[in-house]
Amino acid sequence: MPPQPKIGQSSIGTKIVISISSFFLILFLLLHLAGNVLVFFGPATFNGYSHALIANPLLIPIEIILAVIFLIHIYKTIRMWVRNRGARPVPYARKEWAHHTSRKSFSSTTMILSGAVILLFVVIHLETFKFGPDYLVAGSGQVRDLYRLEMEIFSNPLTVAFYALVMLLIGSHLWHGVSSAFQSLGADSPRWKRTFRVGGRLIAIIIAVGFIVIPIWVYFAGGRS
Amino acid sequence: MTLDSKVPAGPIAEKWDRHKFQVKLVNPANKRKHTVIIVGTGLAGASAASALGELGYQVLSFCIQDSPRRAHSIAAQGGINAAKNYQNDGDSVYRLFYDTVKGGDYRSREANVYRLAQISVNIIDQCVAQGVPFAREYGGLLDNRSFGGAQVSRTFYARGQTGQQLLLGAYQSMMRQVDRGNVKVFARREMLDLVVVDGKARGIVVRNLTTGELETYAADAILLCTGGYGTVFYLSTNAVNSNVTASWRAHKRGALFANPCYTQIHPTCIPVSGEHQSKLTLMSESLRNDGRVWVPKKKGDHRPPNQIPEDERDYYLERKYPSFGNLVPRDVASRNAKQVCDDGRGVGESGLAVYLDFKDAIGRLGRGVIESRYGNLFQMYEKITDENPYEVPMRIFPAVHYTMGGLWVDYNLMSTVPGLHVLGEANFSDHGANRLGASALMQGLADGYFVIPYTLGHYIASTPLPKVSTDAEPFKEAKASVQDRINKLLAVKGHRTIREFHRELGRVMWDHVGMSRNAEGLQRALTEIPKLREQFWHEVSVPGTPDNLNQSLEHAGRVADYLEFAELIALDALERGESCGCHFREESQTPDNEALRDDEHYSYAAAWGFNGVGQRPTLNKEPLTFEEVHLSQRSYK
Amino acid sequence: MANMTLKLLVWRQPGPTVPGRLVPYTADQISPDMSFLEMLDVVNEGLIRKGEEAIAFDSDCSEGICGTCSLVVIGIPHGPQRGTTVCQLHMRHFHDGETITIEPWRARAFPVVKDLVVNRSAFDRIIAAGGYVSVNVGGAPDGNTLPIGKKTADLAMDSAACIGCGACVAACKNASAHLFVGAKISHLALMPQGEVERYERAARMVAQMDAEGFGSCSNEGECEAVCPKEIPISNIARMIREYSKALSTHRKWQWKATTSE
Repeated sequence: MPPQPKIGQSSIGTKIVISISSFFLILFLLLHLAGNVLVFFGPATFNGYSHALIANPLLIPIEIILAVIFLIHIYKTIRMWVRNRGARPVPYARKEWAHHTSRKSFSSTTMILSGAVILLFVVIHLETFKFGPDYLVAGSGQVRDLYRLEMEIFSNPLTVAFYALVMLLIGSHLWHGVSSAFQSLGADSPRWKRTFRVGGRLIAIIIAVGFIVIPIWVYFAGGRS
Repeated sequence: MTLDSKVPAGPIAEKWDRHKFQVKLVNPANKRKHTVIIVGTGLAGASAASALGELGYQVLSFCIQDSPRRAHSIAAQGGINAAKNYQNDGDSVYRLFYDTVKGGDYRSREANVYRLAQISVNIIDQCVAQGVPFAREYGGLLDNRSFGGAQVSRTFYARGQTGQQLLLGAYQSMMRQVDRGNVKVFARREMLDLVVVDGKARGIVVRNLTTGELETYAADAILLCTGGYGTVFYLSTNAVNSNVTASWRAHKRGALFANPCYTQIHPTCIPVSGEHQSKLTLMSESLRNDGRVWVPKKKGDHRPPNQIPEDERDYYLERKYPSFGNLVPRDVASRNAKQVCDDGRGVGESGLAVYLDFKDAIGRLGRGVIESRYGNLFQMYEKITDENPYEVPMRIFPAVHYTMGGLWVDYNLMSTVPGLHVLGEANFSDHGANRLGASALMQGLADGYFVIPYTLGHYIASTPLPKVSTDAEPFKEAKASVQDRINKLLAVKGHRTIREFHRELGRVMWDHVGMSRNAEGLQRALTEIPKLREQFWHEVSVPGTPDNLNQSLEHAGRVADYLEFAELIALDALERGESCGCHFREESQTPDNEALRDDEHYSYAAAWGFNGVGQRPTLNKEPLTFEEVHLSQRSYK
Repeated sequence: MANMTLKLLVWRQPGPTVPGRLVPYTADQISPDMSFLEMLDVVNEGLIRKGEEAIAFDSDCSEGICGTCSLVVIGIPHGPQRGTTVCQLHMRHFHDGETITIEPWRARAFPVVKDLVVNRSAFDRIIAAGGYVSVNVGGAPDGNTLPIGKKTADLAMDSAACIGCGACVAACKNASAHLFVGAKISHLALMPQGEVERYERAARMVAQMDAEGFGSCSNEGECEAVCPKEIPISNIARMIREYSKALSTHRKWQWKATTSE
């Protein structure tokens, strides 16, 4: 008689926790993208939006919750990954993809790697923007000029390339991740299978393309002043 | 030896109920003090283990497979009979009983068959309650199909995987008892001897196939549920690991072996494709519901089947047996296939095949219906032959499939060794000289779920069973003799493979003790088999060591036993000068080549006693008396 | 088609604790009508004639239903043909001169016994943990008292078709048993019998599965693609739903030690 599992400890519970946390992270990415798109409307709009965000007293608690969710996602994934690695101590000498109905893809086989890169990226990204140089909008007192910061940072082609590459990896992570999260919550039936797969890939494309377009636009168009 | 079948007195319909009341019971608190060994985890073994575990006995369950779920019952395709009369087509317990006795060509024990028919209805209920996903009609009720030898639809099925689903039901019930602590499973163990203490079966010697260790286990009763011996023919529809060893070793320890010559040749198998073949594949008899069997009218007609016009085809079963048509019993269908092939009208490259054609059924019902009924069988056929049976007729040929003979048991399923019970295909009792389709599953489950719980209790309650330890002398002796035989096998160190001998034995058996037998051929088999056995013990190569997994050693042990046992089949076939059911003696046939029984001289079960290898065994006869069924020449015309 | 000669690379491992390696063999005179296992028989015949130990591999029914055979052929469990066990895989799918690697199922929960033979008793223990309907022999109501819609019965049969071979575990990069367990939980959850214990069943079977050391599901569907019975991974989703309900309602059925009943 195995001991009673605690929710989240079993293989299925772990997947459920990872999936639910991923939904919050995807939601965050979509909101983040929606905010970033405002950069196309010029410094006033963009800085106005970012100031409203920073000035909101709820921001800090939300950021903490988000960070916790992010860390749970990472922690549970790594534990699961270690366990999964242990489930096959002797590797195959030769292993091929089965094809047929398999959904195995570049994206699905590199989840842990793309995840690791994303974690690294998040650290760099926070350092660059959130904890980056404190330019202030002239004559406003406390309003940070994030528009100017963004223009400066994306004037460097290497930075743009780095961002684009990471965004492709995020897209890859989501390409498998979104529909997989639905399946991990038990939401798979012959009727919905296609919707989840296509929908998941659509979200992956929107997020990846959205976040790639901004730095490239900044680099080539230089923004508007 | 006089054989007491212990059939209870009274009218046939009341025998079993009376007997159930008269048997002694074991107090619920005392059941857990008794250990029962069950060898084999097919339908009979798994159902017995679950039923006895539920009652509270301590059950030790052994199987040669890596999991009890893999026993060969799993391969049964077509279905299971039950006298439910859900179809309102005139079925009844009595009709199932009658059909089975007649199908077995009046060579079974009447009272056993009646009990089987009675219990058949409970089996379906039990299996449904276990969650077996039987086929359903749109109204949600159980569906039926027809099988050979019956004019009613009484066969319940789960696609083409009925055996699998019933076995999984029994296996799961057994695993539930494992969880409850009442059943212990010992997988990858092969029973190599029976231990008899003070005249009673009290234990077994098994080889742990993983470590090679010989282990002994003691119990108050032993149940052999080890299936049939079809692989004595080398090529058969049986699993490659099926064997006679457990039964044969029990026979050597005193259990009589009954009717070994009753071996069923199944009419619808995929024909042999070459020397390399190790196994024949059955195509379910249910295919004969919709498929039509035919051969060209002309000899040596090599045109592709679709180019042979309708009026040049001989639908020989429909022609000769208008009332049963393609659904004649298996022995009749097989023999007729052999006859047309012997006549030079066989098809395919070897000329040893007939067509089973679905063109009319597809035309009438549509491909979709045929696919839903037989899809997995058609797929299997295509995988093996590379031909699409939706477009080209299947080629089929008879193959060894089931053995009606087995260890002799009385009405309580106990052999002539007290305490040794034999269930399912391993015993001889219910099918006479021919088994009807969809009756094997029925018998296995009837014995295990519904018969043995009563009769075993009676044995235990009425027999003094002092504790025995595996340190007792008979255990040591049995273990030593097993060890000795293993050492001998490994010591031969010849240059011929085990498979060569097995193949050769199979050829002798198929040629002389196969579908059609005569005294001359049987005599020849009786001289060739001992020769082959002699060669085996001088020339066989068994590589490897005894102390780990050694499949060559396993196979060698089984073939060695077959080389002894095969002689008994031939002798029994020779001794039975009549034709009956699957046992066709060319000397005894009607003018139109049907099996001709000789009730005056052969209305008995032949139970053979062992007198040593190469020694003539002793024939004991259990007379078969028929109070209910009137003996007649079987006719399916 | 003419006979073929093939180069084999076969995993040989004398015992569970001894390391194994791939050993090259040549398979001569292989007819395209042979099954894959009959081809191995031919190779073994040759070895036995030379007095060498035969390659140990599991097989039994040769009809694709018992689930005994278990070979990873050229990197794919049961080989490249869809919906086919390796005993039903025929040599006509290979070509003359081809090199074929043959390995056992690889998973911590399926330790190698010898060569290509593994121990799959973990599956039995998972079934023992709840893969049944708790009904004793005797006293079952008439089979037709509980009508089950044809669609439901068919769907349950699709799941029940699992042969327990373990190819799903062998194919999964995480050696996960989710498809095997999902199929059994689905079969029983779809049928009305055993309804009262369905959540306890799911919880106990999953707990046992985890205790055996199988990995978890990455939703790649390699299992479905190699499954000889083509059981879809929607069964895994159904298992997750059953399990979620089990956890959220566990006070109702309670996590009890069943040995004490």
